[in-house]
Amino acid sequence: MISLDNVSKYYPTRFGPHYVLKNLNIDIPDDRDIAILGPNGAGKSTLLRMIGGIDFPSTGAIHSDRFISWPLALSSGFEGSMTGRENVRFICRIHGVRDTAEIEDFVKEFSELGDTFELPVRGYSSGMRSKYAFAVSMGFDFDTYLMDEIMSVGDEGFRKKCEKAISEKRESANIILVSHNVATLRDHCNAAILLAYGRAEFYESVDRAIFRYKSL
Amino acid sequence: MKARSAFSIQADVLFAIAVREMNSRFSGYTFGNIWLVLEPLLMMVMFILIFGLRGRGEFGYVEPAVFVFAAFLPFKMLWQFTLKRILSAATGARGLLGFRQVRLFDMFVARALMEAGLFIVVGVVIGTAMWWLGFDPWPKEPLPVLGYAAVLWIFACAVGILGAVVSRVAMEVEKLINIMTMPLLFLSAVFFPMTMVPQPYRDILAWNPLVHANELIREQWLPQYVSPVADFSYLGWWTILSLALAVSAYRLSWQRIVAT
Repeated sequence: MISLDNVSKYYPTRFGPHYVLKNLNIDIPDDRDIAILGPNGAGKSTLLRMIGGIDFPSTGAIHSDRFISWPLALSSGFEGSMTGRENVRFICRIHGVRDTAEIEDFVKEFSELGDTFELPVRGYSSGMRSKYAFAVSMGFDFDTYLMDEIMSVGDEGFRKKCEKAISEKRESANIILVSHNVATLRDHCNAAILLAYGRAEFYESVDRAIFRYKSL
Repeated sequence: MKARSAFSIQADVLFAIAVREMNSRFSGYTFGNIWLVLEPLLMMVMFILIFGLRGRGEFGYVEPAVFVFAAFLPFKMLWQFTLKRILSAATGARGLLGFRQVRLFDMFVARALMEAGLFIVVGVVIGTAMWWLGFDPWPKEPLPVLGYAAVLWIFACAVGILGAVVSRVAMEVEKLINIMTMPLLFLSAVFFPMTMVPQPYRDILAWNPLVHANELIREQWLPQYVSPVADFSYLGWWTILSLALAVSAYRLSWQRIVAT
């Protein structure tokens, strides 16, 4: 269970605090795949980053006893000057994996990057980057995977592969997905959180959430 | 995934950052990682050549090259470089903060440890070279020298962390510290001993805690030097107070620094 306890997030601006999220109280169940929906600026990515532990609520707290992945986004966490392999090694090391060769090979094969894997990440196209980011996260066994618009970039073949990998992981893990693509959310998720006007609502059915989202 | 203790996570992260820093800092250069040691090494050799070989007998009790070596090595590497690397940590490596295991403080610690390691390596390499050439560069009392050097290093860390935290509120602070680097070299008794400074100015210069660090190291390093001003408790208080201030300032504001 990931539980948000009275979580607020605001950014100080010269017009005073700008609240993105206000007093959220939500429990995210372990056995559901969650879609996060909302218009631009509603705080979807911020919420994901806070669940991922790399951003922090201004007030309130987030409790969890699960292993949560880093938020997978196109711009996430990779050092541009290092090669794909070196970045994988770094991520292995901070996750306490000493024997990095196995995951390196897995990522190289899964991401279909070939020799590009040995080149600096800064030169990757956005499609390659999303493949790479996705492959790296699949190399680890997390309880919850956080994904931010990562699935909308890759080509058709890779998307199939991702869906297969996710459904395998789903036996022991769940995903929290941010996307504007309604079809993606409908395919992968079976519950939803709708963010709007600084508030959040939990929906047991994705279709109902999408209906509400469209009529906002 | 299996749960690790906080300590082992910290150790893993420090190791990962250190390796990453080593690989990425000079990745674009022809000689790559060699520059890590080569850069300070060349700088030290240059200083020793420029300041050290201006003839003998200037100080009487020690050869100028050894004097320069004993003063510039700790000051440059443990004070200036450590300070600079810590100051630039918050902006230089934001990409790493996309992982919850990596905190800003790990970056500070990893960079500071690397500078300390480089200090030892460069010191041993140059010392050996000078010894080969017939000088006597080794410290008279190695352990006290290392101890005072460690205090200087911790002081640099404290000032660096404090500067990094405050410069998030006012960017000017980082600029100010960088501007101060050069004058501090002249005001910290680096290339002259305090015995050469006449009286009214000697007491004024002695307000600077770095003077005490340099003089204490010099006293233990050179065989006959006795400093007229060196006071360990003065330096110690500066270090303890600035470290306390730095750590509490960091603790109060690190989430705001990390937030995008």
